Amino acid sequence: MAGDIVLGYDGSEGSKAALRVAVTVAKAFDAPLTVVFGYEPNPMGGETADYKNQLEKIGGDYLAAAVKEAKALDPSVQVEPIVAALRPVESLLEASLEREARVIVVGGSGERPIVGAILGSVPHKLLHRSTVPVLVVPTPEN
Amino acid sequence: MTTTTADSGELGSIPGGEPTGGKGLKPGALGLVSSLVIGVASTAPAYSLAATLGFVTFYVGLQSPAVMLLAFAPMLFIAAAYYYLNRADPDCGTTFTWVTRAIGPKTGWLAGWGILVTDLVVMPNLASVAGVYTFNLFGAHGIAADSSGFWVTFVGVVWIIVMTAICYIGIELSAATQVALLGAEILILVIFSAVALAKVYASHVASSVRFSGQWLNPFKIPSIGALSAGMLLAVFIYWGWDTAVTVNEEAKDTRRTPGVAALMSTIVLVLIYVIVSIAAQAFHGPGFLTNHSDDVLGALGNGVLGSPWDKLLIICVLTSASSSTQTTILPAARSSLSMAVHRAFPKRFADIHPKYLSPGFSTLLFGAVSVVWYVVLTIVSPGDVLANSIEALGFGIAFYYGLTGFACVIYYRRHIFRSLKNFIFIGLAPLLGAVILTVLFVVAIFYYSDPANSSTGDQAWFPGLHFSFHIFHWHLYVKKGLGPPLVLGIGLLAIGIPLMLIWKVRNKDFFNRDREVAETVDSPAPPLTPGVIPVTD
Repeated sequence: MAGDIVLGYDGSEGSKAALRVAVTVAKAFDAPLTVVFGYEPNPMGGETADYKNQLEKIGGDYLAAAVKEAKALDPSVQVEPIVAALRPVESLLEASLEREARVIVVGGSGERPIVGAILGSVPHKLLHRSTVPVLVVPTPEN
Repeated sequence: MTTTTADSGELGSIPGGEPTGGKGLKPGALGLVSSLVIGVASTAPAYSLAATLGFVTFYVGLQSPAVMLLAFAPMLFIAAAYYYLNRADPDCGTTFTWVTRAIGPKTGWLAGWGILVTDLVVMPNLASVAGVYTFNLFGAHGIAADSSGFWVTFVGVVWIIVMTAICYIGIELSAATQVALLGAEILILVIFSAVALAKVYASHVASSVRFSGQWLNPFKIPSIGALSAGMLLAVFIYWGWDTAVTVNEEAKDTRRTPGVAALMSTIVLVLIYVIVSIAAQAFHGPGFLTNHSDDVLGALGNGVLGSPWDKLLIICVLTSASSSTQTTILPAARSSLSMAVHRAFPKRFADIHPKYLSPGFSTLLFGAVSVVWYVVLTIVSPGDVLANSIEALGFGIAFYYGLTGFACVIYYRRHIFRSLKNFIFIGLAPLLGAVILTVLFVVAIFYYSDPANSSTGDQAWFPGLHFSFHIFHWHLYVKKGLGPPLVLGIGLLAIGIPLMLIWKVRNKDFFNRDREVAETVDSPAPPLTPGVIPVTD
């Protein structure tokens, strides 16, 4: 597979907006859509086994909802969900390399502006590090 | 340092998704530096020294460097247990799951409780140290001197709230920042020691003592009780080092990295603790440290480094305390999450915040209980929050580390005699570690049972209690009540027993399990709770 549209999805409003755009883009290029949920517990705390398990469950739930929503928007788009045990940015970069992605689609960091300003948001980091185009979708008002 | 480079990990697809091409998944691999940083930062050297040095010298006087050195032995032995049990429950399992498998659900439940209680007991200490050193930083030494006063407590409470929020929201420092902070911490401690020793030898410092080889001789310590009390304090300074051993399982080069990182963090920690304790007591003598036990590094910093350089030392105690607070809240929340996942705790403790992806309920509850506990302790033992919390802490650590050591021997019992390596690392070392900690635990009970022996000598709780008995030549005196460290340390652990029994009545599932024994030494054990499969990449 190559030329995928890679979407970062975490269940937030921003990522839902990004999903709608990603489905449109996938349709336009007739490309498969890969939906990625990345997570990595802070290794500082140790004891990650059961925590990771819970995170993987939540990620699976989010992605199942995303796949359903994408199919509802356009049944012809081929969607593949991926839960990755990597930080969100790393998981998107990794997926974009593995799939030789055409573009990475993410929601804006509207929901965590302060955290984004201090530590760098996912779209911000992607813009610096991605080797493929990054499409940042603004979170709709309301 | 890059935490995870693009070529170090691959992606796993969820069940039901299409296969991803299976290149052999190993996500989130840690490099040597990250492993080292996690191990050392979790033990928080600057904070540990600030919190314990004055109390260690109270019990063992000039022999504090010897105790610093000696206390590493049980830690090292127990680390072997962590290393091998981690193979059964990979990805940093918990003492709770290991003890449940090896010894049984009731003991396992109590081991989990022990972790939570120990994490809770250290919080007032972290908060007070943070409060005291914050006021020192701004030159408000008068306010800092009253370590259970309103203002220190106020800053301490804010500290707990902010740290809980950081863990709840899931803010993480970048790996590069962590390396820089830890590097600065170690460097400043080394400079502090070098300058202190240089001044002692080059000029006349009031009541300074020149180094003698006897400082490293534990047999000079007056009594076995004092040695135990000192050792329990010093075990605390290495607390958290086990993270270096378990987290290394995920390291990039699994054949070399774990050993090298564990070895390096060991050398760094032991050297730092021994050198700083030598330098600190050489400067003004051990009595000075005991008199300034709430604020050792702040009090010494000014004389050794002079203003404004002493602020560097204060800042490094604060950054160290902040990483220590995080490595207390995160594992506490993960332990209660783990217990809830395996139905040993109410379900809510396993809740994950939908946006921040933290163990939301567990994190907030632990933060809230910590604040209440800190304030209550300040009210019931004004003036001695730091002493009581740090001295009580050793009991909890010895309890669950000891259980971990015994669990390793019991769980791998069929494999101990299969090779010399097995015998040493999964038999002898964990057993020795567990036995040493058990002995320290028991001797310290006898020692602290006399309020006059604890550093808060004038304080006794439950003064109505009267009894005493003798075992061999040891006395369990309970004449005028109990020393606060004993009540706190043992009392909180003991509360676990009725709670466990209540939970046993309400939820039989968890308690109706058989003990397990390891089939192999190298491969993971089956899931602890059927249907709950840990993510092992």
